[in-house]
Amino acid sequence: MTQQTEPKLTSLAEGIADVEDLQDAGYQSDSLLKLTMRRIFRQRSAVIGGSILLFLILVAIFAPVIAPFDPNFVLIGHEDIKRRSDPCIHILGCDETQPQHILGTDGNVRDVFSRVVYGTRVSLMVGFTTVGFAIVIGTLLGALGGFLGGWIDNLIMRIMDVLLAFPSLLLAIAIVAVLGHGLQNALLAIAIVSIPIYARVVRASVLSVKEQEYVAASRALGGSKMHILFRRILPNAVPPLIVQGTLGIATAILDAAALSFLGLGAQPPTAEWGTMLGTERNQIFTAPHLVFFPGLAIMITVLAFNLLGDGLRDAIDPRLKN
Amino acid sequence: MKNKTLYLLFAAVLTLSLVLAACAPEAAPEAPAAEEPAAVEEPVAEEPAAEEVMAEFEGKMVQAPSCDYGGKIDSIVAVDAYTVEFTMCKPDPAFPAKAAFTPFGIYAEEWLMANASNANQETLLSAPVGTGPFALDNWARGESITYKAYDGYWGDKPAYDTLVIRWATEGAQRLLELQSGTVDQITNLSPDDYATVQDDANLTFLPVANPNVLYLAMTNPPFDNVEVRRAIAMGIDRARIVDNFYAEGSVVPSHFTPCSLPNGCVGDSWYEFDAAAAKQALADAGYPDGFETTIYYRDVFRGYLPEPGLVAVEFQTQLRDNLGIEAEVIVMESGEFIDESTNGRLNGLYLLGWGADYPHVTNFLDYHFAAANPQFGEVHPSIYEALEKASQLGDPAEAKALYVEANNAIKELVPMVPIANGASASAALNTLGNAHFRPFGAPLMAQVDPGKDTFVFMQNAEPISLYCADETDGESLAACQQVVETLLAYAIDSGEVVPELATACTANADSTVWTCTLREGVTFHDGSTFDANDVVVSWAAGIDASNEYHVGNTGVFDYYSYLWDGLMNLED
Repeated sequence: MTQQTEPKLTSLAEGIADVEDLQDAGYQSDSLLKLTMRRIFRQRSAVIGGSILLFLILVAIFAPVIAPFDPNFVLIGHEDIKRRSDPCIHILGCDETQPQHILGTDGNVRDVFSRVVYGTRVSLMVGFTTVGFAIVIGTLLGALGGFLGGWIDNLIMRIMDVLLAFPSLLLAIAIVAVLGHGLQNALLAIAIVSIPIYARVVRASVLSVKEQEYVAASRALGGSKMHILFRRILPNAVPPLIVQGTLGIATAILDAAALSFLGLGAQPPTAEWGTMLGTERNQIFTAPHLVFFPGLAIMITVLAFNLLGDGLRDAIDPRLKN
Repeated sequence: MKNKTLYLLFAAVLTLSLVLAACAPEAAPEAPAAEEPAAVEEPVAEEPAAEEVMAEFEGKMVQAPSCDYGGKIDSIVAVDAYTVEFTMCKPDPAFPAKAAFTPFGIYAEEWLMANASNANQETLLSAPVGTGPFALDNWARGESITYKAYDGYWGDKPAYDTLVIRWATEGAQRLLELQSGTVDQITNLSPDDYATVQDDANLTFLPVANPNVLYLAMTNPPFDNVEVRRAIAMGIDRARIVDNFYAEGSVVPSHFTPCSLPNGCVGDSWYEFDAAAAKQALADAGYPDGFETTIYYRDVFRGYLPEPGLVAVEFQTQLRDNLGIEAEVIVMESGEFIDESTNGRLNGLYLLGWGADYPHVTNFLDYHFAAANPQFGEVHPSIYEALEKASQLGDPAEAKALYVEANNAIKELVPMVPIANGASASAALNTLGNAHFRPFGAPLMAQVDPGKDTFVFMQNAEPISLYCADETDGESLAACQQVVETLLAYAIDSGEVVPELATACTANADSTVWTCTLREGVTFHDGSTFDANDVVVSWAAGIDASNEYHVGNTGVFDYYSYLWDGLMNLED
């Protein structure tokens, strides 16, 4: 036994000595965060996606400053303007006598630009809230299943399998039908249908991580199950979750827009892009700007999250690239 | 050689006889006789047959135990094969206008007796047998209904063979289909598309002169308080709604009933918009800071409400700005919405409207404000008593004072707020001959000429069923009307009542007995002959709740109940 352990101890001691020597020589080791950030910034798609997302977050925060009108302000009686008027930008040649509405007005004679700007708040809130909720619940379920194994794992994962067996949007519609219309219920529905994705990702990571030597060491040192799970395993299972979560936000925003388009999500007069599309869908030929700009906003936001997610995946877990 | 000549001669004779035999059925005179009604082909030979029918005829009847049930119809009797007598519990001068309405269509007695049961409900609801110019060919659920011209039709036969009714809920899709020529006529043209159609040389713009009204209704607390209702009436800027959300030609109503109907808008005009007075009235009612409520609507295009969602949001805005009332907007499924609203179960405000079924003021007032209607909650004797008396007077001038009384009571009690009389339109390809849209009822599709074998009509929803005795929606009625005919009908260009299956319906002096003389030589699509018993059985199935054939889609038989003041033998 002595002969077997001695070389290891020697090796460890030599390793520590090497690191100390390097530090003495002026070398500083980068933190994991710094390394990750450096990798992310090397990913062009992540930079573009992150920049767009940053822009959208700023738009959402400063919406009252950017938007010329309250999103629900009806211009009837305040301006001489017709409903569903075309975009009018004075510097681009629009008649100065006409009120300026850079994206036009909608069927209720409200400023479309203001509604698109405020819609950013709703969409980002939808994305972050639903995915946040789904990650918390999914992580707990996946971690418990993966770590405990046995019948608990079986029970949890079979329930997740059942949820995954339904098309997510269809399941969300069914849940909203039961809970009732409205943005809150739509958020809950989207979060519920997203849970299995995160539960599976976390479970897979936990199954892999829990076999690592440092987990065995922690167990040998007498660490409790909770300690091992939450301090040793979960922190090391997070990277794939970040990638999945970023991509999941894009899906959640699309699902929320779809529910609102169908009249099941955000209710009037909330400035939500899906609702704006749904309300004016009949005007696609007579007033195309009413569906084009909310649609464009959805596209840009989803693209931003997808680019960022792809970039994060490449940066955090290069093995998954290609 | 001689034998060969004989063989050839025999063969030639045999061949000739075979050819003649093969050609015989086409040349035979029996074929048209089988297709044409006997009365048309051989009027002389028809008379003995008719006499025979008369001699063997056993007339049926339906009668209420007494007139205490509150309805208008006492009995319907088949006096002889071609005479039906309607005895009323109270005078009803509007009988012809009502009897022309599609729900009172006549079905073949044998077909009804065979299918008006829960066991055969599917056939009852989807395969009607009537006397109309078209016989049902196929109902491809979710896609279309196909009809074939009925060869045995008693009137002018259609100029084409196949009628197809399709549907699309989206106005843009309907217009696109019309522009691309895949359909010949569309209903419910969106107001935003009026200019497009009017500027398109390939299309014909068809204004629809159907009187209608959109109203904002409210039933349950806090709207059971008349002061709250008056505040709402004064606090809604109706002109702003009509100016901004309705097509040109729409008007702000002065009364619940459109002015195009006699006695429709007599009495005091509706409240003027006055936000300050409305706010004060709401404060006096105990709600100085407003309250929270809900606005319900169904997302269905109607002439009286072309853009439901937008108008609902406009109400939401006005209630908040003018009265401090915060309202949530909720869209409901159409069937559920109708059921909940007409039974007075919606807690909040709701947008509902009415398009005239028949050209009489009773269609608007009596339907909505009758004593038995739970829609507006508490019923008001000051309204329904005047209406009951007025409905029994045939002379509009004589009834005017009573309608003034009823209209003033409606204004005073505000069971709802009339918002708009909407202008609406249909559109057709300019190649469509005799393109029209009647003021009352669906287009007479047998009278158009598409210049080809098929006419495709597109409406905005799929029919619920094709047994229209128990349906109320316009889409079902339009589909039924091509198959099933009524005793009387509405003219193509006005509300005038004209003969259909009855050549005439005449009343006694006080309009308590209506005698209808039926058209002879009419056959149903199943080949059976139309007679008075078909009328009695069809009406009995609708009006008599205890009748064994009183089976339909819902079993409510709304129009039988509302237009005749209730069903016979209806249990509580």
